Amino acid sequence: MANTLLALGARQLIRNAISKPLVIQSAAMSGGVEGSYTRTLIGKREIVGYGYNGEPNYVDRSDFPLPAIRWQEPNADILALREREKGDWKQLSIEDKKALYRASFRQTFAEFKAPTGEWKYMVGVTLSLISAALWVFFGLKTFVYAPLPDSFKEENRAAQFRRILDLQVNPIEGISSKWDYEKDDWKK
Amino acid sequence: MFRASALRIHALAKSAANSTNVVQARPAAWLGVRYMSKHNTETDDQFDQRYENYFNNPNIDGWDIRRGVHDLWGHDLVPEPKLTIAILRACRRANDLAMAIRVIEAVKDKCGNKVNEIYPWYIQELRPTLTELGIPTPEELGWDKPELALLNTDDM
Repeated sequence: MANTLLALGARQLIRNAISKPLVIQSAAMSGGVEGSYTRTLIGKREIVGYGYNGEPNYVDRSDFPLPAIRWQEPNADILALREREKGDWKQLSIEDKKALYRASFRQTFAEFKAPTGEWKYMVGVTLSLISAALWVFFGLKTFVYAPLPDSFKEENRAAQFRRILDLQVNPIEGISSKWDYEKDDWKK
Repeated sequence: MFRASALRIHALAKSAANSTNVVQARPAAWLGVRYMSKHNTETDDQFDQRYENYFNNPNIDGWDIRRGVHDLWGHDLVPEPKLTIAILRACRRANDLAMAIRVIEAVKDKCGNKVNEIYPWYIQELRPTLTELGIPTPEELGWDKPELALLNTDDM
């Protein structure tokens, strides 16, 4: 039983993977969308242009302001309005003009370019994650790690520095060249 | 057996001869064609004229207007007012008022951060055509600000 189910599922997956993109592509490129998968996606919407990638899809983009399909499917109201659109546009009221626009386009530029305020969410999440990381760091430092080794203590480091001077490390251009051994201090 | 070998040698010799021919022929071919970009010698006036002629085509349909607009919008420029006027008149011929309004909005978007300097002058240039054709500006429709809001799909 499980085997049969698995086989059926796999076959369905493969079939979807193979057939669907092909259908979309051929439909979009040839324009023969009637009765095709594309038509089931876009309904009765008119295909009016190339769009941004040749697919009959709708996206509000400012770099490609005129999408490939109209936003609304035609209905009686809008078809009547389209008939009047063929006449003088000055006879159309503001509402008619808005209705025509909304039939073709989903959002105006002002609408789809309006700030969403999402940046506040982003900043908030980023700062919370950083503060969580700081809590983890100081928690580990306090409860988990051993204290720093003795070589980090002030007197050990002073002794190590004295040893470096005694060995005259890097005497030409380095640290010992800047040390005055007669006065036992830095060269002024 | 000998026949087969002879045929094979013949074929080899033939292909070798062909390939030497190709090698000899090739320099002439690629000396003539250089695969590199050319500097654009079109002046701004010629550019404007080309697009104006395109949009002034009396038989232009909605598909071609959209194509021309997207083509033009791919350039880093605000189209000259005469080009926008040509687009608006093409929209009039194609009976698509929505597209005309959209184009004005898109021009405003093209002005970028200079919108306060360019756009008022632009509308002033377009005004006679707008009045003649009865095209409203986005401001007249109250669309300089968002009119409707959509729910974020993540919040539904």
